[in-house]
Amino acid sequence: MIFNSEISGQQQHTTSPVVTGGSVIALVYNGGVIVGTDTLCSYGSMATFKNVQKIAQISKNTIYASSGEFSDFQQVVKELAKIDRSALQYDDGVHPSPKDYGNFLARLSYKKRCKINPLYLQNVIAGFHNGERYLGLVDIYGTYLESNFITTGFASYFCKAIIANYWNENCTLDQAKQVIRECFKVLFCRDCRAHDVIQLAYVDAQGAHIEEPERVETKWDFNGFKSRANEKLHTQ
Amino acid sequence: MLKHLYDTDCVTWSPQGKLFQVEYAMEAVKQGSICLGLKSNENVVLCSLKRQPSELAGYQEKQFKIDDHMAIAIAGLTADARVLCKYMRTECLEYKYTYESHHPVGRLVFKVAEKSQHKTQSGAKRPYGVGLLVAGIDPNGVHLFETCPSGNYYEYKCQAIGSRSQAARTYFESWFHLFEKSTLEQLILHGLSAIKKAIMEDEELNEKNVEVGILGKNLKFTHLNAQELKDYITKLDTFSPNSQIQQE
Repeated sequence: MIFNSEISGQQQHTTSPVVTGGSVIALVYNGGVIVGTDTLCSYGSMATFKNVQKIAQISKNTIYASSGEFSDFQQVVKELAKIDRSALQYDDGVHPSPKDYGNFLARLSYKKRCKINPLYLQNVIAGFHNGERYLGLVDIYGTYLESNFITTGFASYFCKAIIANYWNENCTLDQAKQVIRECFKVLFCRDCRAHDVIQLAYVDAQGAHIEEPERVETKWDFNGFKSRANEKLHTQ
Repeated sequence: MLKHLYDTDCVTWSPQGKLFQVEYAMEAVKQGSICLGLKSNENVVLCSLKRQPSELAGYQEKQFKIDDHMAIAIAGLTADARVLCKYMRTECLEYKYTYESHHPVGRLVFKVAEKSQHKTQSGAKRPYGVGLLVAGIDPNGVHLFETCPSGNYYEYKCQAIGSRSQAARTYFESWFHLFEKSTLEQLILHGLSAIKKAIMEDEELNEKNVEVGILGKNLKFTHLNAQELKDYITKLDTFSPNSQIQQE
Protein backbone atom coordinates (compact mmCIF):
# COMPACT_ATOMS: atom_id res chain seq x y z
CA MET A 1 0.00 0.00 0.00
CA ILE A 2 1.39 3.35 -1.00
CA PHE A 3 1.09 5.89 1.78
CA ASN A 4 0.88 9.38 0.36
CA SER A 5 1.91 11.66 3.16
CA GLU A 6 1.03 14.76 1.19
CA ILE A 7 -2.63 13.83 1.04
CA SER A 8 -2.79 12.80 4.69
CA GLY A 9 -1.42 16.19 5.66
CA GLN A 10 1.61 14.78 7.43
CA GLN A 11 4.06 16.18 4.87
CA GLN A 12 6.31 18.62 6.63
CA HIS A 13 7.51 21.73 4.89
CA THR A 14 10.95 23.20 5.40
CA THR A 15 10.24 26.54 7.03
CA SER A 16 13.58 27.15 8.64
CA PRO A 17 16.91 25.39 8.40
CA VAL A 18 18.50 23.48 11.27
CA VAL A 19 22.14 22.70 10.42
CA THR A 20 23.50 25.35 8.10
CA GLY A 21 26.61 26.05 6.06
CA GLY A 22 28.03 29.50 5.45
CA SER A 23 28.94 31.55 2.43
CA VAL A 24 30.25 30.22 -0.85
CA ILE A 25 32.46 32.31 -3.10
CA ALA A 26 33.19 31.27 -6.67
CA LEU A 27 35.27 33.00 -9.33
CA VAL A 28 36.49 32.26 -12.82
CA TYR A 29 40.18 32.62 -13.57
CA ASN A 30 42.17 32.35 -16.75
CA GLY A 31 42.35 28.55 -16.75
CA GLY A 32 39.12 27.49 -15.09
CA VAL A 33 36.85 28.17 -12.16
CA ILE A 34 37.50 28.18 -8.41
CA VAL A 35 35.12 27.74 -5.48
CA GLY A 36 35.76 28.48 -1.80
CA THR A 37 33.74 27.64 1.30
CA ASP A 38 34.50 27.47 4.99
CA THR A 39 34.37 24.14 6.79
CA LEU A 40 31.75 24.96 9.39
CA CYS A 41 28.22 23.68 9.85
CA SER A 42 26.36 25.66 12.48
CA TYR A 43 23.53 24.41 14.65
CA GLY A 44 21.74 27.71 14.95
CA SER A 45 24.35 29.97 16.49
CA MET A 46 26.45 27.10 17.81
CA ALA A 47 29.55 26.23 15.79
CA THR A 48 29.00 22.48 16.04
CA PHE A 49 30.67 20.75 13.13
CA LYS A 50 33.96 22.44 12.37
CA ASN A 51 35.56 20.09 9.90
CA VAL A 52 32.98 19.59 7.19
CA GLN A 53 33.74 19.31 3.48
CA LYS A 54 31.07 21.37 1.78
CA ILE A 55 32.35 21.10 -1.79
CA ALA A 56 31.38 17.95 -3.67
CA GLN A 57 32.74 16.61 -6.92
CA ILE A 58 29.79 15.64 -9.10
CA SER A 59 31.58 14.48 -12.20
CA LYS A 60 35.02 14.67 -13.73
CA ASN A 61 34.68 18.33 -14.58
CA THR A 62 31.95 19.63 -12.29
CA ILE A 63 31.90 20.58 -8.61
CA TYR A 64 29.03 21.69 -6.42
CA ALA A 65 28.80 23.73 -3.23
CA SER A 66 25.98 25.45 -1.44
CA SER A 67 25.08 27.50 1.60
CA GLY A 68 22.02 26.77 3.69
CA GLU A 69 20.54 23.59 5.13
CA PHE A 70 23.30 20.98 5.05
CA SER A 71 21.01 17.96 4.81
CA ASP A 72 19.57 19.45 1.64
CA PHE A 73 23.12 19.83 0.33
CA GLN A 74 23.73 16.13 0.96
CA GLN A 75 20.48 15.21 -0.80
CA VAL A 76 21.31 17.34 -3.83
CA VAL A 77 24.73 15.67 -4.10
CA LYS A 78 22.93 12.31 -4.27
CA GLU A 79 20.48 13.54 -6.90
CA LEU A 80 23.24 14.95 -9.10
CA ALA A 81 25.36 11.81 -8.72
CA LYS A 82 22.36 9.79 -9.93
CA ILE A 83 22.40 11.68 -13.20
CA ASP A 84 26.10 11.12 -13.66
CA ARG A 85 25.61 7.40 -13.16
CA SER A 86 23.01 7.28 -15.91
CA ALA A 87 25.87 7.35 -18.41
CA LEU A 88 26.81 3.91 -17.10
CA GLN A 89 23.22 2.71 -17.45
CA TYR A 90 22.86 3.81 -21.07
CA ASP A 91 26.32 2.63 -22.04
CA ASP A 92 27.00 5.61 -24.27
CA GLY A 93 29.77 7.49 -22.47
CA VAL A 94 27.79 10.74 -22.61
CA HIS A 95 28.26 12.73 -19.41
CA PRO A 96 26.21 15.79 -18.60
CA SER A 97 28.04 19.09 -18.93
CA PRO A 98 28.22 21.45 -15.91
CA LYS A 99 25.44 23.51 -17.51
CA ASP A 100 23.21 20.43 -17.65
CA TYR A 101 23.63 19.97 -13.90
CA GLY A 102 22.94 23.64 -13.27
CA ASN A 103 19.71 23.56 -15.25
CA PHE A 104 18.62 20.30 -13.66
CA LEU A 105 19.11 21.73 -10.21
CA ALA A 106 17.16 24.84 -11.21
CA ARG A 107 14.23 22.67 -12.35
CA LEU A 108 14.39 20.62 -9.17
CA SER A 109 14.52 23.69 -6.93
CA TYR A 110 11.67 25.34 -8.77
CA LYS A 111 9.50 22.26 -8.50
CA LYS A 112 10.04 22.06 -4.75
CA ARG A 113 9.47 25.79 -4.39
CA CYS A 114 6.13 25.45 -6.13
CA LYS A 115 5.08 22.94 -3.50
CA ILE A 116 6.13 25.38 -0.77
CA ASN A 117 8.72 22.86 0.37
CA PRO A 118 12.00 24.22 -0.90
CA LEU A 119 15.53 22.93 -0.88
CA TYR A 120 16.77 25.51 1.60
CA LEU A 121 19.91 26.29 -0.34
CA GLN A 122 21.78 28.79 -2.46
CA ASN A 123 23.58 26.49 -4.87
CA VAL A 124 26.74 27.00 -6.89
CA ILE A 125 27.66 24.67 -9.75
CA ALA A 126 31.14 25.15 -11.17
CA GLY A 127 32.81 23.40 -14.06
CA PHE A 128 35.02 23.43 -17.11
CA HIS A 129 33.67 21.89 -20.30
CA ASN A 130 34.98 21.96 -23.89
CA GLY A 131 37.37 24.77 -23.03
CA GLU A 132 34.61 26.91 -21.54
CA ARG A 133 34.42 28.00 -17.92
CA TYR A 134 31.06 27.60 -16.24
CA LEU A 135 29.68 29.09 -13.04
CA GLY A 136 25.99 28.77 -12.22
CA LEU A 137 23.92 29.99 -9.31
CA VAL A 138 20.60 28.41 -8.36
CA ASP A 139 18.80 30.00 -5.46
CA ILE A 140 16.10 28.74 -3.10
CA TYR A 141 13.35 29.68 -5.58
CA GLY A 142 14.90 27.95 -8.54
CA THR A 143 16.23 31.13 -10.15
CA TYR A 144 19.04 30.20 -12.49
CA LEU A 145 21.90 32.56 -13.32
CA GLU A 146 25.28 32.10 -14.98
CA SER A 147 28.02 34.51 -14.06
CA ASN A 148 31.77 35.13 -13.85
CA PHE A 149 31.67 35.35 -10.09
CA ILE A 150 29.17 34.17 -7.51
CA THR A 151 28.74 34.88 -3.82
CA THR A 152 26.11 33.46 -1.51
CA GLY A 153 25.00 34.38 1.98
CA PHE A 154 26.87 37.10 3.82
CA ALA A 155 29.63 37.13 1.21
CA SER A 156 27.17 38.92 -1.08
CA TYR A 157 27.23 41.86 1.32
CA PHE A 158 30.83 41.94 2.47
CA CYS A 159 32.90 40.53 -0.31
CA LYS A 160 31.71 42.08 -3.55
CA ALA A 161 33.83 45.18 -2.98
CA ILE A 162 36.95 43.05 -2.52
CA ILE A 163 36.17 41.00 -5.61
CA ALA A 164 35.47 44.13 -7.65
CA ASN A 165 38.78 45.71 -6.67
CA TYR A 166 41.18 42.80 -6.75
CA TRP A 167 39.82 40.28 -9.25
CA ASN A 168 39.26 40.13 -12.97
CA GLU A 169 38.10 37.23 -15.08
CA ASN A 170 41.56 36.61 -16.56
CA CYS A 171 43.57 36.57 -13.38
CA THR A 172 45.78 33.62 -12.46
CA LEU A 173 44.77 30.79 -10.18
CA ASP A 174 46.96 32.12 -7.36
CA GLN A 175 45.49 35.61 -7.67
CA ALA A 176 41.98 34.18 -7.51
CA LYS A 177 42.90 32.10 -4.46
CA GLN A 178 44.26 35.18 -2.71
CA VAL A 179 41.07 37.11 -3.39
CA ILE A 180 38.97 34.31 -1.92
CA ARG A 181 41.22 34.02 1.14
CA GLU A 182 40.93 37.76 1.70
CA CYS A 183 37.15 37.51 1.42
CA PHE A 184 36.94 34.77 4.03
CA LYS A 185 39.21 36.78 6.34
CA VAL A 186 36.70 39.58 6.24
CA LEU A 187 33.82 37.16 6.67
CA PHE A 188 35.43 35.60 9.73
CA CYS A 189 35.69 39.05 11.28
CA ARG A 190 32.19 40.19 10.48
CA ASP A 191 29.91 37.16 9.94
CA CYS A 192 28.92 35.52 13.22
CA ARG A 193 28.38 32.14 11.57
CA ALA A 194 31.71 32.03 9.76
CA HIS A 195 34.82 30.02 10.50
CA ASP A 196 38.50 30.64 9.87
CA VAL A 197 39.21 27.28 8.24
CA ILE A 198 38.38 27.31 4.54
CA GLN A 199 38.56 24.91 1.61
CA LEU A 200 39.26 25.76 -2.01
CA ALA A 201 38.48 23.68 -5.07
CA TYR A 202 39.11 24.45 -8.71
CA VAL A 203 38.23 22.90 -12.06
CA ASP A 204 40.48 23.27 -15.08
CA ALA A 205 41.13 21.38 -18.30
CA GLN A 206 42.60 18.50 -16.29
CA GLY A 207 39.48 18.10 -14.17
CA ALA A 208 38.40 18.90 -10.64
CA HIS A 209 40.86 19.42 -7.77
CA ILE A 210 39.64 19.77 -4.21
CA GLU A 211 42.37 21.05 -1.90
CA GLU A 212 43.00 20.33 1.75
CA PRO A 213 41.38 22.76 4.21
CA GLU A 214 43.52 25.71 5.28
CA ARG A 215 43.29 28.27 8.04
CA VAL A 216 43.01 31.90 6.98
CA GLU A 217 45.52 34.26 8.50
CA THR A 218 43.96 36.44 11.13
CA LYS A 219 45.56 38.84 13.51
CA TRP A 220 44.30 39.24 17.04
CA ASP A 221 47.27 40.74 18.90
CA PHE A 222 46.28 44.34 18.25
CA ASN A 223 47.15 46.84 20.99
CA GLY A 224 43.55 47.87 21.09
CA PHE A 225 42.53 44.34 22.12
CA LYS A 226 45.30 44.06 24.69
CA SER A 227 44.50 47.37 26.26
CA ARG A 228 40.80 46.69 25.86
CA ALA A 229 40.29 50.25 24.74
CA ASN A 230 36.67 49.59 23.70
CA GLU A 231 35.72 48.18 27.07
CA LYS A 232 36.48 51.23 29.20
CA LEU A 233 33.41 52.47 31.00
CA HIS A 234 32.01 55.60 29.53
CA THR A 235 31.16 58.11 32.16
CA GLN A 236 29.35 61.27 31.54
CA MET B 1 8.22 -26.21 -40.55
CA LEU B 2 4.69 -25.95 -39.22
CA LYS B 3 4.90 -22.22 -38.67
CA HIS B 4 1.23 -21.84 -37.96
CA LEU B 5 1.64 -23.81 -34.74
CA TYR B 6 4.00 -21.25 -33.23
CA ASP B 7 3.09 -17.92 -34.80
CA THR B 8 -0.11 -16.94 -33.02
CA ASP B 9 1.37 -14.59 -30.47
CA CYS B 10 4.58 -13.12 -29.14
CA VAL B 11 4.71 -15.36 -26.11
CA THR B 12 5.29 -18.55 -28.12
CA TRP B 13 8.76 -19.66 -29.19
CA SER B 14 9.26 -21.93 -32.16
CA PRO B 15 11.42 -25.04 -31.72
CA GLN B 16 14.11 -23.28 -33.76
CA GLY B 17 14.21 -20.44 -31.25
CA LYS B 18 12.28 -17.89 -33.31
CA LEU B 19 9.48 -15.52 -32.37
CA PHE B 20 7.45 -15.55 -35.55
CA GLN B 21 5.25 -12.59 -34.70
CA VAL B 22 8.35 -10.43 -34.40
CA GLU B 23 9.69 -11.73 -37.70
CA TYR B 24 6.37 -11.01 -39.39
CA ALA B 25 6.53 -7.49 -38.03
CA MET B 26 9.92 -7.05 -39.67
CA GLU B 27 8.26 -8.08 -42.95
CA ALA B 28 5.97 -5.08 -42.61
CA VAL B 29 9.05 -2.88 -42.64
CA LYS B 30 10.24 -4.51 -45.83
CA GLN B 31 6.93 -3.68 -47.48
CA GLY B 32 7.29 0.04 -46.87
CA SER B 33 8.80 2.22 -49.58
CA ILE B 34 12.51 2.71 -49.44
CA CYS B 35 14.27 5.17 -47.18
CA LEU B 36 17.97 5.49 -46.66
CA GLY B 37 20.49 7.45 -44.66
CA LEU B 38 24.19 8.18 -44.96
CA LYS B 39 26.61 10.21 -42.93
CA SER B 40 29.92 12.00 -43.24
CA ASN B 41 32.07 13.53 -40.52
CA GLU B 42 29.90 16.62 -40.50
CA ASN B 43 26.49 15.81 -41.93
CA VAL B 44 23.75 13.20 -42.13
CA VAL B 45 21.40 12.94 -45.08
CA LEU B 46 18.08 11.06 -45.19
CA CYS B 47 16.49 10.23 -48.54
CA SER B 48 13.13 8.55 -49.04
CA LEU B 49 10.76 7.64 -51.81
CA LYS B 50 7.25 8.83 -51.14
CA ARG B 51 4.27 6.71 -52.19
CA GLN B 52 1.12 8.12 -53.71
CA PRO B 53 -1.86 5.88 -52.88
CA SER B 54 -3.76 7.13 -55.97
CA GLU B 55 -3.58 9.94 -58.51
CA LEU B 56 -5.99 11.97 -56.44
CA ALA B 57 -3.95 11.62 -53.29
CA GLY B 58 -0.94 13.43 -51.94
CA TYR B 59 2.40 11.77 -51.27
CA GLN B 60 2.95 10.14 -47.88
CA GLU B 61 5.63 11.93 -45.89
CA LYS B 62 8.36 9.66 -44.58
CA GLN B 63 10.64 11.96 -42.63
CA PHE B 64 9.86 13.64 -39.37
CA LYS B 65 11.83 16.16 -37.37
CA ILE B 66 12.26 15.10 -33.76
CA ASP B 67 14.30 18.07 -32.59
CA ASP B 68 16.70 20.57 -34.13
CA HIS B 69 19.46 17.98 -33.94
CA MET B 70 17.53 14.81 -34.77
CA ALA B 71 15.17 13.41 -37.39
CA ILE B 72 13.74 10.05 -38.44
CA ALA B 73 12.83 8.38 -41.71
CA ILE B 74 10.25 5.60 -41.49
CA ALA B 75 9.44 2.41 -43.38
CA GLY B 76 6.39 0.35 -42.52
CA LEU B 77 3.13 1.15 -40.75
CA THR B 78 2.85 4.93 -40.73
CA ALA B 79 0.42 4.87 -37.81
CA ASP B 80 2.91 2.99 -35.64
CA ALA B 81 5.62 5.38 -36.77
CA ARG B 82 3.57 8.33 -35.54
CA VAL B 83 3.37 6.82 -32.07
CA LEU B 84 7.14 6.44 -31.90
CA CYS B 85 7.66 9.88 -33.39
CA LYS B 86 5.44 11.46 -30.74
CA TYR B 87 7.29 9.57 -28.02
CA MET B 88 10.69 10.70 -29.29
CA ARG B 89 9.56 14.32 -29.60
CA THR B 90 8.19 14.29 -26.07
CA GLU B 91 11.38 12.83 -24.66
CA CYS B 92 13.49 15.45 -26.44
CA LEU B 93 11.28 18.24 -25.17
CA GLU B 94 11.42 17.02 -21.59
CA TYR B 95 15.19 16.65 -21.75
CA LYS B 96 15.51 20.16 -23.09
CA TYR B 97 13.21 21.53 -20.39
CA THR B 98 15.30 19.89 -17.65
CA TYR B 99 18.84 20.26 -18.95
CA GLU B 100 18.61 23.05 -21.56
CA SER B 101 20.56 20.86 -23.97
CA HIS B 102 19.89 18.29 -26.67
CA HIS B 103 18.94 14.70 -25.92
CA PRO B 104 21.90 12.42 -26.69
CA VAL B 105 20.96 10.49 -29.81
CA GLY B 106 22.08 7.01 -28.81
CA ARG B 107 20.19 7.29 -25.56
CA LEU B 108 16.89 8.13 -27.26
CA VAL B 109 17.32 5.24 -29.70
CA PHE B 110 17.94 3.01 -26.69
CA LYS B 111 14.68 4.22 -25.15
CA VAL B 112 12.79 3.52 -28.38
CA ALA B 113 14.35 0.07 -28.58
CA GLU B 114 13.36 -0.64 -24.99
CA LYS B 115 9.80 0.43 -25.77
CA SER B 116 9.76 -1.78 -28.87
CA GLN B 117 11.11 -4.79 -27.00
CA HIS B 118 8.38 -4.47 -24.42
CA LYS B 119 5.83 -5.13 -27.15
CA THR B 120 7.53 -8.39 -28.05
CA GLN B 121 7.20 -9.93 -24.63
CA SER B 122 3.51 -9.71 -23.90
CA GLY B 123 0.51 -11.86 -24.71
CA ALA B 124 -1.76 -8.95 -25.33
CA LYS B 125 0.47 -6.74 -27.46
CA ARG B 126 1.92 -6.74 -30.95
CA PRO B 127 5.29 -5.35 -32.03
CA TYR B 128 5.51 -1.97 -33.75
CA GLY B 129 5.38 -2.57 -37.51
CA VAL B 130 7.84 0.14 -38.44
CA GLY B 131 11.58 0.52 -38.84
CA LEU B 132 13.17 3.89 -38.19
CA LEU B 133 16.34 5.42 -39.50
CA VAL B 134 17.36 7.92 -36.82
CA ALA B 135 19.76 10.67 -37.89
CA GLY B 136 21.19 12.84 -35.15
CA ILE B 137 24.10 14.96 -33.99
CA ASP B 138 25.30 15.21 -30.39
CA PRO B 139 28.56 15.83 -28.54
CA ASN B 140 29.58 12.25 -29.30
CA GLY B 141 29.49 12.94 -33.01
CA VAL B 142 27.35 12.32 -36.08
CA HIS B 143 24.99 9.35 -35.84
CA LEU B 144 22.77 7.17 -37.98
CA PHE B 145 20.81 4.42 -36.25
CA GLU B 146 18.35 1.82 -37.44
CA THR B 147 15.63 0.50 -35.13
CA CYS B 148 13.65 -2.70 -35.68
CA PRO B 149 10.28 -4.03 -34.47
CA SER B 150 12.32 -6.62 -32.56
CA GLY B 151 13.75 -3.99 -30.25
CA ASN B 152 17.24 -4.21 -31.67
CA TYR B 153 19.08 -1.15 -32.85
CA TYR B 154 22.26 -0.71 -34.81
CA GLU B 155 24.50 2.18 -35.65
CA TYR B 156 25.45 2.59 -39.30
CA LYS B 157 27.64 4.61 -41.63
CA CYS B 158 24.86 4.26 -44.19
CA GLN B 159 21.80 2.08 -44.42
CA ALA B 160 18.70 1.54 -46.52
CA ILE B 161 15.42 -0.06 -45.42
CA GLY B 162 12.11 -0.79 -47.13
CA SER B 163 11.25 -2.35 -50.46
CA ARG B 164 14.07 -2.90 -52.95
CA SER B 165 16.53 -1.54 -50.40
CA GLN B 166 19.07 -4.20 -51.33
CA ALA B 167 19.84 -2.31 -54.54
CA ALA B 168 20.62 0.81 -52.53
CA ARG B 169 22.73 -1.16 -50.07
CA THR B 170 24.72 -2.58 -52.96
CA TYR B 171 25.44 0.96 -54.14
CA PHE B 172 26.52 1.84 -50.61
CA GLU B 173 28.84 -1.11 -50.38
CA SER B 174 30.72 0.13 -53.43
CA TRP B 175 31.01 3.75 -52.37
CA PHE B 176 30.66 4.15 -48.60
CA HIS B 177 34.40 4.60 -48.16
CA LEU B 178 33.98 8.03 -49.76
CA PHE B 179 31.21 9.24 -47.46
CA GLU B 180 33.28 10.20 -44.43
CA LYS B 181 34.99 13.07 -46.18
CA SER B 182 32.18 13.96 -48.58
CA THR B 183 30.75 17.44 -48.72
CA LEU B 184 27.05 17.90 -48.03
CA GLU B 185 26.32 18.18 -51.74
CA GLN B 186 28.21 14.99 -52.56
CA LEU B 187 26.39 13.20 -49.77
CA ILE B 188 23.00 14.26 -51.14
CA LEU B 189 23.97 13.13 -54.63
CA HIS B 190 25.14 9.75 -53.31
CA GLY B 191 21.84 9.36 -51.48
CA LEU B 192 19.82 10.18 -54.58
CA SER B 193 21.96 7.87 -56.70
CA ALA B 194 21.30 5.04 -54.27
CA ILE B 195 17.56 5.67 -54.34
CA LYS B 196 17.64 5.74 -58.12
CA LYS B 197 18.96 2.17 -58.05
CA ALA B 198 15.91 1.10 -56.10
CA ILE B 199 13.08 2.51 -58.21
CA MET B 200 11.12 0.48 -60.72
CA GLU B 201 11.92 0.70 -64.42
CA ASP B 202 8.83 2.73 -65.28
CA GLU B 203 9.23 5.14 -62.37
CA GLU B 204 11.41 8.16 -62.27
CA LEU B 205 12.75 10.45 -59.54
CA ASN B 206 11.17 13.85 -59.36
CA GLU B 207 10.78 16.56 -56.77
CA LYS B 208 7.34 15.24 -55.81
CA ASN B 209 8.13 11.63 -54.96
CA VAL B 210 11.52 12.10 -53.31
CA GLU B 211 12.14 13.55 -49.86
CA VAL B 212 15.59 14.65 -48.74
CA GLY B 213 16.37 15.77 -45.22
CA ILE B 214 19.74 17.16 -44.13
CA LEU B 215 21.35 17.64 -40.72
CA GLY B 216 24.75 19.01 -39.82
CA LYS B 217 26.86 20.04 -36.86
CA ASN B 218 25.86 23.65 -37.43
CA LEU B 219 22.80 22.90 -39.51
CA LYS B 220 19.44 22.25 -37.93
CA PHE B 221 17.34 19.59 -39.58
CA THR B 222 15.72 20.84 -42.80
CA HIS B 223 14.04 19.37 -45.86
CA LEU B 224 15.21 20.33 -49.32
CA ASN B 225 12.48 22.30 -51.02
CA ALA B 226 11.02 21.49 -54.44
CA GLN B 227 13.43 23.71 -56.38
CA GLU B 228 16.50 22.38 -54.59
CA LEU B 229 15.32 18.82 -55.21
CA LYS B 230 14.88 19.56 -58.91
CA ASP B 231 18.40 20.97 -59.09
CA TYR B 232 19.95 17.97 -57.37
CA ILE B 233 18.05 15.50 -59.51
CA THR B 234 19.34 17.32 -62.58
CA LYS B 235 22.89 17.17 -61.18
CA LEU B 236 22.51 13.40 -60.88
CA ASP B 237 22.99 13.08 -64.63
CA THR B 238 26.52 14.42 -64.39
CA PHE B 239 27.40 13.01 -60.97
CA SER B 240 29.86 10.17 -60.78
CA PRO B 241 31.50 8.86 -57.62
CA ASN B 242 34.63 8.16 -59.61
CA SER B 243 35.27 11.88 -59.95
CA GLN B 244 35.20 12.17 -56.19
CA ILE B 245 38.05 9.68 -55.91
CA GLN B 246 40.13 11.66 -58.40
CA GLN B 247 39.63 14.77 -56.29
CA GLU B 248 41.23 13.04 -53.36
